[in-house]
Amino acid sequence: MRIINLKKKLGKFTIDIPYLELESGCIHGFIGENGSGKTTTAKLIADILKPDAGEILYDGLDSRSITMTAQKPYMLHTSVYENIIYPLKIRNIKPNEIEIDTMLKKYDLYEKKKQYARSLSSGEQQKLSLLRTLIFKPEFVIIDETLSNLSAESLELFENLILEIQKACCITWVLISHQPHIINELCDTVHFFANGRLIESGKKEQVFLYSQNPIVKTYVQRQVFGLLKER
Amino acid sequence: MDIINEAIQVFTDAGIGDAVRVTLVMAVCSVTISSFLGISLGLLLEQYNFPGKRVLIRVNHTLLGIPPVVVGLLVYLLLMRNGPLGMLSLLFTIKGMILAQIIIITPIITSMVYSYAVNTAPAVRAFAVTMGASKRQTKILIVKEMKNEIYFAIVTGFGRAISEVGSVMLVGGNIEDRTRTMTTAISMLKSQGIYTEGVTLGVLLLVFAFILQWAAESFQKRELENENY
Amino acid sequence: MKKFMAIVLMMLFSMTILAGCGQKTDENAGSNSSQSQSSSAAAVPKGVLLMSTTTSTQDTGLLDYLAPIFLEDTGWNLQWTAVGTGQALKMGQDGDVDIVLCHAKASELDFVEKGYGVKRYPVMFNDFVVVGPSKPIEATKDIQTVFTQINSQKLSFISRGDDSGTDKAEKAIWAALKIDPKTNEKYMKSGQGMGDTITMANEKNAYCFTDRGTWLKIKKDSTVNIDLDIVCEGDTLLKNQYGVIAVNPQKYPKVNNQAANDFINWICSDRVQKIIAQYGVDKYGQALFTPNAGTNS
Repeated sequence: MRIINLKKKLGKFTIDIPYLELESGCIHGFIGENGSGKTTTAKLIADILKPDAGEILYDGLDSRSITMTAQKPYMLHTSVYENIIYPLKIRNIKPNEIEIDTMLKKYDLYEKKKQYARSLSSGEQQKLSLLRTLIFKPEFVIIDETLSNLSAESLELFENLILEIQKACCITWVLISHQPHIINELCDTVHFFANGRLIESGKKEQVFLYSQNPIVKTYVQRQVFGLLKER
Repeated sequence: MDIINEAIQVFTDAGIGDAVRVTLVMAVCSVTISSFLGISLGLLLEQYNFPGKRVLIRVNHTLLGIPPVVVGLLVYLLLMRNGPLGMLSLLFTIKGMILAQIIIITPIITSMVYSYAVNTAPAVRAFAVTMGASKRQTKILIVKEMKNEIYFAIVTGFGRAISEVGSVMLVGGNIEDRTRTMTTAISMLKSQGIYTEGVTLGVLLLVFAFILQWAAESFQKRELENENY
Repeated sequence: MKKFMAIVLMMLFSMTILAGCGQKTDENAGSNSSQSQSSSAAAVPKGVLLMSTTTSTQDTGLLDYLAPIFLEDTGWNLQWTAVGTGQALKMGQDGDVDIVLCHAKASELDFVEKGYGVKRYPVMFNDFVVVGPSKPIEATKDIQTVFTQINSQKLSFISRGDDSGTDKAEKAIWAALKIDPKTNEKYMKSGQGMGDTITMANEKNAYCFTDRGTWLKIKKDSTVNIDLDIVCEGDTLLKNQYGVIAVNPQKYPKVNNQAANDFINWICSDRVQKIIAQYGVDKYGQALFTPNAGTNS
């Protein structure tokens, strides 16, 4: 997927990306401070927002197979189960309830299968949202901070799930995260955003270790110290 | 006990039964049509941008503020024998009353649905896009997700419909067995100094209002319970 | 600023609608809800006389005409609420007013007999007429012909059906003629005041029974063309007597009995009786009421 001369104005904030290539089959990380344009760019890719100018070349990717999950995912006014099967329903696919039950058990949501989705905790809502997104086998997945409220165990489960799917199906991922360890463990490539612009793009190691850009350097240093503190 | 017996006696009186029937027929018909118009209009206003949209919203707000009796007068002038729609002979008929009620209730439902939609629909739309829903599926989903709010708007409209007096009196003419509603009957009975039947009708309206209020509240409560976790 | 604009817009909007229709409401067309009106007080009044009366005395404008004269002559400020005869008497019965002026002799005498009123004094009369389309009924003096024809030919007829003095008079005539009006399915009850009922009859091209005063006023003042004509007048059954009764101060000590007595003496005086006899002549070409105080009507 390639982004060419993408421009979007939202109030005083402007996104301006002359060129960005997201190699298919890779796990990409979008990093940068809050309000740097990561989420807006992701929304433009996911077709939630329409660009003012420029284009996004999907290179044969079906727009219905591009998906995105949010930090506070939208929960339908219905049960957990109905939420999970919604993408199947609109595709006229009959859900396999036994399979779904097994999945819910694995991710510790089975007890709450019949419960009203909006009554779940934020972490549970994020889990539900990830499962709901992956169930229809999308080819391009953007995960916008949807791993932020998970417990350590759940996080590990999902990290493994992402890597598994990645190996088996070779789909493209974009992870937006403030948690450096997630980026570190999962991503191949990272893209650094600041003030609505893409300022650095490249292999993870290259950006983290050898970047000459002062903004990237400050950010990485802070994150590494943060990581040390966490340990 | 005497009061209860008297109330039962009065209730079985054909006049009251007719007033209840006329009221319900009028309210159900006008609310059905108003809901259809108001929900569609509210959702369209939220979804599309077009020239004159702000004017339309302002006109709708203005209509919200117009006293029903003024609407009644306008409809009366329209339907008069020498008025522009005189040939339809709708004056002093239930149909004419329904027309007036639609003009009163549609703006209420429109503005309620519109303001709910402004708050809800963008998030639903974004979600639907990420799920790969078609345009049609997205529209259905928006309506489904606003189900409670839409019920609430309809219930509110129905409450207005049964409690309306001024316009109904003007356009309907309060003709016994035909266009006499519960409210116009109360107003007439009071003017005759007859209070028992008036009070009975009032109590009945109160019961209706209570049921509606309870229904509306239970929708809201469901919402609240759901959001509060 | 935006708010102000919105308000201006709103006013313009409503004004254009009203102006566009080129009609104005008939403020005096009788309404069945009670309306309180006060006369304009030129001198400082020494108190208020509260009257309940029938819609016809208000709809004809008689009270608006008499109240300032009454204030000047006696110093009492006359305020009234115009409702149906039934409620007018009920208000007297509850002690809510000081005096009652209405036109249903039997009910009035009953009111006095039960001790709610002091004494009934006849004041004036007007007459009832039947108005409606000139076809198929031809104008006649005989009420029996008209009512029989309405009933047998199933012609639209709008009755007030509100238990008012006029309504009672109409019912009494049907009863006297031994006709059950309800056998005609086009016999409707509006449950509203006289003015509303006449305009309704005009819209529906129906017949209706009205007092002459309200009829003349509506016919003259209505912004809408009234296509109805008098089809029956002059029958003895059509006479409409008004009486005035002071509410009994022994029953309700708080009522203003002095003002009530002043009003009765004043309205029955020769001078005021002459004023009543002249009322409406310049405007309608004929008097609306015939004074007859002191008679036995």
